[in-house]
Amino acid sequence: MTRYLISRVLQALVVLLGVSIVVFAMLHILPGGPARAVLGPKATAVAIHTFESEYGLLKPLPVQYFDWLGQVFHGNLGFSYKLNQSVDALLAANLPRTLALVGTAAILAVMIALPLGVYQAVRRNKPDDYALTGASFLFYSMPTFLLGLIMILLFTTVLGWFPANGPTGEVPLWSQLSNMVLPIATLCLVTIALFSRYMRSATLENLVQDYVRTAQSKGVSPRRVLFVHVLRNALLPIVTLIGLSLPGILSGALVTESLFNYPGIGYLFWQAAQSEDFPVEIGVTLVVAVGVVMGSLLADILYAVLDPRVRYS
Amino acid sequence: MIEVFTANRLAVLGFGIIVFFILFCWIGPIFYHTNQVQTALLSANQGPSLSHLLGTDNVGYDTLGRLMEGGQTSLIVGVAAAFLGTTFGVIWGAVAGYLGGLADAIMMRLVDALLAIPGLFLLLFLASVVTPSVPLMIFIIAVVAWLGPARLVRAETLTIRERDYVQAVRMMGGTGLRTITRHIIPNTVGTIVVNATFQVADAILILAYLSYLGLGVPPPASNWGEMLSGGVNYVFAGYWWLIWPAGFCIVATVVAFNFVGDALRDAFEVRLQRR
Repeated sequence: MTRYLISRVLQALVVLLGVSIVVFAMLHILPGGPARAVLGPKATAVAIHTFESEYGLLKPLPVQYFDWLGQVFHGNLGFSYKLNQSVDALLAANLPRTLALVGTAAILAVMIALPLGVYQAVRRNKPDDYALTGASFLFYSMPTFLLGLIMILLFTTVLGWFPANGPTGEVPLWSQLSNMVLPIATLCLVTIALFSRYMRSATLENLVQDYVRTAQSKGVSPRRVLFVHVLRNALLPIVTLIGLSLPGILSGALVTESLFNYPGIGYLFWQAAQSEDFPVEIGVTLVVAVGVVMGSLLADILYAVLDPRVRYS
Repeated sequence: MIEVFTANRLAVLGFGIIVFFILFCWIGPIFYHTNQVQTALLSANQGPSLSHLLGTDNVGYDTLGRLMEGGQTSLIVGVAAAFLGTTFGVIWGAVAGYLGGLADAIMMRLVDALLAIPGLFLLLFLASVVTPSVPLMIFIIAVVAWLGPARLVRAETLTIRERDYVQAVRMMGGTGLRTITRHIIPNTVGTIVVNATFQVADAILILAYLSYLGLGVPPPASNWGEMLSGGVNYVFAGYWWLIWPAGFCIVATVVAFNFVGDALRDAFEVRLQRR
């Protein structure tokens, strides 16, 4: 177990190193480099040279990389000249709101999708399984913003239950819960579509295993076979799959936030991409990527805790 | 293999939908003439009528005609990005798996690092750096799309590399290039075809997302995603013909490619996870 953990953590560190190199490279593939990104397209050659020598951009790239990495380790992710705020401050304000959105949607999705997937597997190839599979195919193949739009049309225009705009960043989220409903529901539906498909096939795969037949022939009740024997085995790969779906969920959050003007890091990133505010884009990318690496590391550790076969091999 | 595919009714349906949209987009304009070059502001935002079967958009383009035009872009970008991304990813994965050791480690950690950045973030960043055109859009989507096939093919290469016939090629003095192109890649074709089918669906969706987020291909070029995101602005005005036809085209095409991909997976008996 310890050996597995150490090797997995080392692997995550290597990927993090790779992420930092990729993000650093993103800084430098900008047309004109970082100086142009800050000073704008109309800056003179003199101004650019002054800026570059002042910020150490004339040093060799490897030196610059370690300078930049040092800054990142000191928690300095850069400065947004467009918003006149440090990227740290922007992240500190927006990241918790995204965590609230993604966290709530993901937890709800797991709570709904897992029973749904098991139900579909038990009722496989019956009309209700077809209907649910069709629905999840539909949600999965639909652009998230179209799904959000349908939610707005249904719950705001027709039923008038919830407001169409997301919460504002001015007041705390918990005081505007009704504005949170539609963004969370939209992200949740997409995630349910994804997870229930996984859960259905994981359960189906286990239902035909030898141990199920053994349990049945011992006279174990079908309910017990399903909920004790099959479910525990089917849940294992789901842990990893949820970890692996984190990038997809975060991409979904970006679209959801931009549709509902939800003030999280996805919205922040979108605004930055439109106004070519590269320090913000790069800061958010770094944070999101680190989150993804940590998420998949956590999922793998959890998997090892749950599955003794991983622990002892 | 073909029987397995045709026995799957959903796959036949999916294939039919794809054929329909290809005919719709390329043969359709021959029978349904519309002006997709000049705007006609005097007849903007009109509902469906005999002269405009699906109405007009906010600058007077005929919606049905634009669905055909825009569909060409969506389908071309989808197929081309999937092809480009898959080709590069396959070569990358096969080379990494074949070389092994340090080269493999470095090549695959780069893939891992890029995969850690959620696709849309990387896409939006790239789209904000360049001014997108259709070829650039294909390239940008391929930059994200190659990662999946690279991983899948590398994993398969690791097992194929140890097979006897590959060892025999080496023994006879076959070069690495020959081993990769003639023996390893042909043996991963099932994985590649299945994954490429899903990639087309993903690329069409990605194009729609980028258009919606305002970083797609600028007008007068069009695609289904751009039409849909344009229509979203008129949702409260009740201009349904600007939203649902484009939305239907996207969803139908993406579902169709997913159906075909699922069936191909069964036909090739490839066991792999999506993404």
